[in-house]
Amino acid sequence: MGFYCISSKNFPAFIDELIHQQSVIAPQLVQSKPYNPSSSEFFSFSLLKKASNLRLDYDTTILPPKKVFFPPQQVLLSFKNGEFQAVLDLYETILFGVHPYDLLAIEQTDFLFSDKYEDIHYTAQRQLTTIIGSNIQRSAEHSFFSSMNANVKPSTHDGFITKIADTYIYEVLTGKAGNLLKYGQFTDASQQQIDLAVKENERVKSKSHLNYSADEIKQGLEKSYADLELWEQLAKSCYACGSCNTSCPTCYCFNIEDKWHIDQISGERTRYWDSCMTEDFAKISLGPGKSGEAQTENFRPTTGARMRHRLMRKMVYLNDKLGTQACVGCGRCATSCTADIADPVNIINTVMEKYHD
Amino acid sequence: MTKPSIFLPKQAQIINVRQNSESEKHFTLRFADGKKIHFEPGQILEVSLFGFGEIPIGIASSPTRQHSFDIVVRGIGRVSKAINKLNKGDSLYIRGPYGNGFKLDKIRNHPVLIVAGGLGVCPTRSLIQYILDRRSEFKHFTLFYGACHPSQQLFRDDLSDWRKNNDIELLEIVDRPDCDWQGYVGVITDLFDKTQVDKDTRVIVCGPPIMFKFVIQKLDQLGIAHENIFVDLERRMKCAIGKCGHCQINHKYVCTDGPVFSVKDLEDLPEAF
Repeated sequence: MGFYCISSKNFPAFIDELIHQQSVIAPQLVQSKPYNPSSSEFFSFSLLKKASNLRLDYDTTILPPKKVFFPPQQVLLSFKNGEFQAVLDLYETILFGVHPYDLLAIEQTDFLFSDKYEDIHYTAQRQLTTIIGSNIQRSAEHSFFSSMNANVKPSTHDGFITKIADTYIYEVLTGKAGNLLKYGQFTDASQQQIDLAVKENERVKSKSHLNYSADEIKQGLEKSYADLELWEQLAKSCYACGSCNTSCPTCYCFNIEDKWHIDQISGERTRYWDSCMTEDFAKISLGPGKSGEAQTENFRPTTGARMRHRLMRKMVYLNDKLGTQACVGCGRCATSCTADIADPVNIINTVMEKYHD
Repeated sequence: MTKPSIFLPKQAQIINVRQNSESEKHFTLRFADGKKIHFEPGQILEVSLFGFGEIPIGIASSPTRQHSFDIVVRGIGRVSKAINKLNKGDSLYIRGPYGNGFKLDKIRNHPVLIVAGGLGVCPTRSLIQYILDRRSEFKHFTLFYGACHPSQQLFRDDLSDWRKNNDIELLEIVDRPDCDWQGYVGVITDLFDKTQVDKDTRVIVCGPPIMFKFVIQKLDQLGIAHENIFVDLERRMKCAIGKCGHCQINHKYVCTDGPVFSVKDLEDLPEAF
């Protein structure tokens, strides 16, 4: 445990040695974004092949790093001729360069996948992952992390790296992170360097801000619940595509489906990311009606009811369980929204204008 | 060593199949390893057939009858239709039991009324059998059973036993009678005019979502407190372990916080029905 430093000059060799030792998943540039002049690049957490591809100066990634432990599709069981077994496709990995808001999100999903019933399809991969956080060098366009979870410090990660001038300060929090020291030319960090790293992390602010505290938002949203008309208005142009869910680091809803292999005797039971914003999410069948027509009941039939549910889930429902809000302010939902309506800052500030005391 | 996957089911053998009505089949099951299932009336199972999928189903027999357990499946979707093609000797795959059951500690030593509409008689049969098997633990016991049509009545053998059994006051009603129907015709709430319901009664309501509101209105008129009315909610529970989100109603999960809720509990859950 403690603080170490490595020069920018020696840093690439450290990363290359990590890649040599283990798989490293880290932020990389995937594509330029010419149609969006305000931000010209897309980043993704993906398998790092060489140090020069690492982009610790990323603003945010398209998908959150939860995909390492909770992939978009994950085989849970395989079956063949009446025999079946659990499938765990595990690998040791270093998840490198995770921003503090995503660290908070991982802490939440760690808890939620272990709460009451431990889901080893998540937790086993999580245990094999070493997480190294990194400071936010620039804030994403729709980010509002400075307004969220002000009193919560992430604690789920193993180490944290902060860039100050031409040096990286590496904070070692667990033995897993300590084990990586031998792969680079680290020296002990001075108190002055540690202080600079702390300041650097305090300095960074999100681009957007909420005008209200967590408690005020909780109370305001609870009051707005009965005002479905307002929510319908906010969700008027929602396509129910689910992009806001897909890109959210704290969304963890899923569907489970069976698929046959082409041999028709074997197959897999797979879970997929699912989205509470899609129309069928809370729909049940009531069986055939009097003239044989399919009857259904949808408990959140409109986009307004579903948007309200999503915001309540992020800002109200899970607060007691998590001890904080289930939104970390990354702004990915706002960036990914095809109709450009999902920005929680706009939604919350609009609701609060009407429902704040 | 990691724990076993929570998604691993147990193999169960079908030891009996009865065609309950045109689209419903009644399966009697026993685990292939011979182990007994421990559950409370009202709890649910995830029942699956590999290659088709998993569906949540309430247990339709009482834990007092330990030799086997029952489920009733209405064949309307991909999984349920595949299950309903199975025969005696075939296997089903079971996870569970999950959820909370019918709050036996709150209904013991009180009069009990079960209001079951349509398929709602399946999970409540678990409680009906339980009460009949431990009759002295409960006071007056009434069952309202509503179906669309006499041909859609489930558990015919049970019904003919219950009609003769003095331990249970059974009132049956159908929407549309056939020419042999001798019972009441109308909607299930009409049955409240046909008998006396004591104010101290503990009421269990299970049926299609539309039914709840009307039944609760009647119970309100009778002055039955909301903490003494229990409803069994239905949702598309994909995981049954409080994670997948499909069964969420406001801040509660039907699979782990329910499926049985008192109407009092539902007062701050407007999405319940």
